[in-house]
Amino acid sequence: MTKVLVLGMSAVVSLAVACGGAAVPHDKVTAAEAEMRAAEVGGASDVQQAALHLKLAQDQIVKGKALIQEGENEEAALVLDCAQTDAQYALALAKEETAKKEAEAAAKEVAELKRKTAKGP
Amino acid sequence: MKAVMLRKRNWLVGSVVLLGVLSGCGVTLPPKELVSARRAFKEAQEARAAELSPVQLEEARQALARAEVSFEDEGDASVTRYTAYQAERRALSARSAASAEAAKQARAKSEQELRNLQAGYQEATETKLAKTRAQLEKEAAEKAKTKEQLEAERKARLAAESKLSAALASLEQIAKVKEEARGVVITLSGSVLFATGKWELLAMAQNRLDDVAKALKDQGYKHIVVEGHTDSRGSEQANLDLSKRRAEAVRSYLVGRGIDANKIEAKGIGEARAVADNASADGRANNRRVELVVTPE
Repeated sequence: MTKVLVLGMSAVVSLAVACGGAAVPHDKVTAAEAEMRAAEVGGASDVQQAALHLKLAQDQIVKGKALIQEGENEEAALVLDCAQTDAQYALALAKEETAKKEAEAAAKEVAELKRKTAKGP
Repeated sequence: MKAVMLRKRNWLVGSVVLLGVLSGCGVTLPPKELVSARRAFKEAQEARAAELSPVQLEEARQALARAEVSFEDEGDASVTRYTAYQAERRALSARSAASAEAAKQARAKSEQELRNLQAGYQEATETKLAKTRAQLEKEAAEKAKTKEQLEAERKARLAAESKLSAALASLEQIAKVKEEARGVVITLSGSVLFATGKWELLAMAQNRLDDVAKALKDQGYKHIVVEGHTDSRGSEQANLDLSKRRAEAVRSYLVGRGIDANKIEAKGIGEARAVADNASADGRANNRRVELVVTPE
């Protein structure tokens, strides 16, 4: 019985090696989805360019999952890494937009106060 | 036209030959993803990512290095393209982070400038307010001073009036006192002061005049005119002369009792200003008088 089991296991391992040997990248799916959520929470959907990269990330996650289904784990891992970087970029764009708007608002406030106080009290 | 066609053909042939040579030598052109990644990394550096987003730039550098290694080992394989894609995204993220950081710093600078402006404006406002307050206080003080002065003047006037009233009251016990337009008129009967036709003061006249002098000194005076009056008996000239001598006698006596000589004068009016009918004895007695016309202080 043990011999059968050992032989069976070896066969499975050999099959796995023969098929490429890469582990199923479930962790990369989780990571990519987490980055996407972070980008959404960060307001990426409200910034045009960021929304585009958010969509790219979403599409890549879908593709990655499909590749996992097909057993193409190596390629799936690469695609999911790309998804992560797109989601991260989407978040960076959203933060940049917010920072620029805040800087603009502050500069406007300064200009307004200068205008009001130009004549003195 | 023929020359153009010839040039085009030569160019095409040249490219094909070059590609062939390169392929023959094993040189692979980098995939567009790697080209993009290199360009993105350069742009991130130019955007001061090393200073503003160093962590993100380092991640991008490492990603690009991996892509370059992959290209060296695997050539234009899909793994190189995927790795280069990631490198490009990381470089773009680094540039975006640098831009965000620059905006944050600009905002912080603006906020500081805003605080400085507000502080400056507040200070200027407070200074102006203090100046205005000081001005108002000064005006109020001047107003109060004027009020004080007015009050002091009023009190002084009241005191003078009170003094005058008291003096008049004491005079009225010894003479007739009347306030007229020309001043306070103290009338002393001629028969009390002088014998008939004489201008030397009688003894009892001196007592009266002592009281008058005291009252005048108490009351205060600016100027006194001593007027001598007679009845109409005798010649006008003689009466004028008599009245003048009598006025002089009263004046001298009062000066001797402390009345300022520079503030008192004597006049002879004679019979000119009768106050009663000279036809009767009483009338004549009333006309025979000395009047002190006092201009109060």
